[in-house]
Amino acid sequence: MPSPRFPIPQGTLDMLILQILSLEPAHGYGIAQRLEQISRSVVQVNQGSLYPALHRLEQKGWLRAEWKQSETGREAKFYSLTPAGRRQLTVEKDSWARLSGAVNLIFEEGSR
Amino acid sequence: MKQLFNWFRLRSLEGGLDRELQYHFDCRVADLTAAGIPEPDARRRVAVELGLAQVREEIRDVWLTRWFRDFLYDLRFSGRSFLRSPGFTAATLLSLALGIGATTAIYSLVDQVILHALPIHDPARLVLVDWDGDQVGGGFGSWNLMSYPICRDLQQQTRFFDGVLCRAEIQVNLSAGGDPKPVAAEIVSGSYFPVLGVSPALGRLIEDPDDAAPGAGPVVVLSNDFWQAEFGGAADIVGRKLLINQHPMTVVGVAVAAFHGVDIGAVPALWIPASMYAEAIPGAEDLLRRPTFWMQILARLRPDITPVQAQTGLQPWFKAWLQDNMLRPGFPVITDDRRRDYLASTLELTPAPQGHSPLRRSLSQPLWLLFAATGVLLGLACLNVAGLFLARGSARGREIATRLALGASRGRIGRQLLADSVLLALAGGVLGVAVAPFAIGALIAFLPKDFAASNLHGTLSLRLLVFTFFASLTAGLLSGLTPALHAGSGSLVSSLRERAGTGFGGVRLRKCIVTLQVALSLILLIGASLFVRTLAGLLAKGPGFETSGVLSFAIAPVQSGYSRAEAARLVRRLDEEVRALPTTLNSAAARVPFLTGGSWNNSITIETDRRVVTHLVNLNAVSPGFFSTLGIRILAGRDFDARDSRPVGEAGHRSAIVNEAFVRRYLAGRDPLGIHIGEGSGPDVKPDVVVVGVCAGFNYRDLRDDSEKAFFPIFEGEDAGATFYVKVRGAPEQAIPSIRRIVRQADPRLPILWFRTLGDQVNRSLTTERLLASLSSSFGALALLLSLIGLYGVMSFVVTRRTREIGIRLALGATGASAIRLVLRDAVTMIAGGIAIALPCVAALSKLVQSQLFGVTATDPAAVAVAALVLAAGALTAAFIPAWRASNVSPTDALRLE
Repeated sequence: MPSPRFPIPQGTLDMLILQILSLEPAHGYGIAQRLEQISRSVVQVNQGSLYPALHRLEQKGWLRAEWKQSETGREAKFYSLTPAGRRQLTVEKDSWARLSGAVNLIFEEGSR
Repeated sequence: MKQLFNWFRLRSLEGGLDRELQYHFDCRVADLTAAGIPEPDARRRVAVELGLAQVREEIRDVWLTRWFRDFLYDLRFSGRSFLRSPGFTAATLLSLALGIGATTAIYSLVDQVILHALPIHDPARLVLVDWDGDQVGGGFGSWNLMSYPICRDLQQQTRFFDGVLCRAEIQVNLSAGGDPKPVAAEIVSGSYFPVLGVSPALGRLIEDPDDAAPGAGPVVVLSNDFWQAEFGGAADIVGRKLLINQHPMTVVGVAVAAFHGVDIGAVPALWIPASMYAEAIPGAEDLLRRPTFWMQILARLRPDITPVQAQTGLQPWFKAWLQDNMLRPGFPVITDDRRRDYLASTLELTPAPQGHSPLRRSLSQPLWLLFAATGVLLGLACLNVAGLFLARGSARGREIATRLALGASRGRIGRQLLADSVLLALAGGVLGVAVAPFAIGALIAFLPKDFAASNLHGTLSLRLLVFTFFASLTAGLLSGLTPALHAGSGSLVSSLRERAGTGFGGVRLRKCIVTLQVALSLILLIGASLFVRTLAGLLAKGPGFETSGVLSFAIAPVQSGYSRAEAARLVRRLDEEVRALPTTLNSAAARVPFLTGGSWNNSITIETDRRVVTHLVNLNAVSPGFFSTLGIRILAGRDFDARDSRPVGEAGHRSAIVNEAFVRRYLAGRDPLGIHIGEGSGPDVKPDVVVVGVCAGFNYRDLRDDSEKAFFPIFEGEDAGATFYVKVRGAPEQAIPSIRRIVRQADPRLPILWFRTLGDQVNRSLTTERLLASLSSSFGALALLLSLIGLYGVMSFVVTRRTREIGIRLALGATGASAIRLVLRDAVTMIAGGIAIALPCVAALSKLVQSQLFGVTATDPAAVAVAALVLAAGALTAAFIPAWRASNVSPTDALRLE
């Protein structure tokens, strides 16, 4: 029986995080929830792998983090996109579009 | 870089991560309980979801990168394991500290003497301007001499130069109220400080107007050190009057503390403008206009010009200048041949960011040699540590095999071993740096000290620390590389099966290492024996004259305001009074001191049936009795006496004495007595000096000097002063007070420049030889020790491993002697291999050292044989101890071991 939710493809997590943060700053838990909502519970994100990804993106200078009061009233670490991160997102979206376009083309050709 | 920064704030990063994850955890648990799951279940589920420990590890890798983090763990692990085996740690640490300390100390001198640029504005653009060819004019001083007018004319060449300066090292009598005393000074053009870009610490420096015309600038600038030492850093020093050679001059300023002149080997106490040459250098004539060669010229190139461009660009101008220069007053009359040579002269520009220094010239080759020797020594220490690591690696064989079996990669284990050696080497480096200042201080103490102190110091500079860091790192990598590679090889199963402590342990590799060590230490030992033989040979040969019981002292009355005639009268009077002292056996005076490296030289024109002009001959003027005082034999003719001295003021000499070498080279087959000679080489030289005697050969400049020499009588009113040689009864030092009293009675304000026994003078002239001999011997001894330790270690190991085999042999009737032979055979192979490697290397290196040797060639069979014998004897002794232990193995014990 195929699983209704498939694991997130390798390497796309970073792009999704950047995409989510391009809308508004968020903390780790918020990003995890948003990921689930946006992907309508089709994509399964290992909650644990989210944090290494966030720290890696921060180290690369694409994200900036600051401690702020969250909606629950506790301090939470909010991530937001840096200009470099915004540029990176465009690059990744672009290459994703090209890749999926190319894959689609191959599939269509095959089905004809 | 970011990773390194992260490492320092690891604690705050960890705290932040904890808070962040805790927040996630709490929110998730709250959401789940809100959805109706009981809290304990929710907690468990979230913990599984997150995988906290795994997440933390992954994030730490992000912060520090995996490699760097592992390396830090490795270092921690190494540190702990070193603390567990203090004996091993001490042995390796000491080897590395010795190697690194010695290399650091020698490098410090190399850096200071050879490499270090002057502490001035943009030193890279500084060039030394020198004359390549026949200068024709006379001069005084040493190395790269130029005249003041050339400097002035070069200053017009603004196409190439931003500025040109000239300077000379001199010595003046300074009195600041008290008794005058000799101090080192630099006489400089007005452009000196502006061109170098040095600023004053107080007042102003010498400027162009001070040097505008002769006598224009009766001013001096003090060095910061001299101002502090002599005047206690008095704030009101500017404007004070000093007496320089009895002429009043005003202090106008103090230079910044970092600046010590352009010669690291001769630091001036003060600077005087060239315009004051007549006062600063008594007896000098018209130095600013005549083509007298006495200064060095340094120039600052324009930023866009290379030294080669400037040199090529200057030649046409210089050709024209050579023509013009012949019309100047004081240009000598010369032959056509000479004129051709003169006109073919060129200017030579060499980069001089380190300034000008005769010390560098004489020390750079010995220093590079010693630096190479310390490099070899450090290599030996690395090999020793590598051997010890291999030994330890075999003891740790099981640990490593277990780790491999548990899935550690071979690369990972190799890296662990590398971390061991790097940590050790860095610790050794720290130890080395700690002892380096003392070692450097001891090295500097070898160098002779005269009026001009050298600016060498034992303090650690940043450059030195960087050097030591890289030397240590290299040493660590080198010594860890073999064991690390070795750990990556070998069969896992067999090493696990072996019993602890009997691992193969790379015995073959360790034997190779010891062979290499033997070779390297033999090279150092041969070097040491060559330099020791050179020093011993020079000392045994001596200067060719009597040194025991002879005291020398010097005065320069002209610098205290005497005229030359008065100076000559004073010298004669002192000579007579010293001779009359009851402790004096004999006494004489000479114009130029012996064995100081310098000399007065000129060509000699010899008139026999034809006219012969000699090459440069070393000249001196001496008093009657000079040769007998120093025990130099007169081979033919007679010594000078009262007949030879002309009345003061009458120019020229009446008679001369030449040495054996002079006769052999220029008067072969003739009777030298009665031949006429003249000083100089021009057609205008009148050979009217009669040779009245021939003396035996002896050394003048230094102990290697065997040049042709000619002597004239002193006391003819040509001298600024004299050096006295007094042969005394008993210890020479005891005569000093009475001689001091005589000089004080003659003139209480006249300083004595130095008091020195001739034995001391001989020692001072052998500074470089002594430095090379003693350092190369200590390096050789250290090298020998290191390789013997290595050899001993390997042999003991071999014996332990073969205990059972030897036991069986002994049980089957082999004698103890045959067991010894069995073990020694191994050692002999390594020693012979080492010698076989070393000898071709020595032959290849011989050219590099030959110029530093005396009386031996670099491949001198005796020196090589002695070194090889010392090495072989030491090595066999080191190998004999384990061999003897092998012969004493009790067969029953050996078999029971199993």
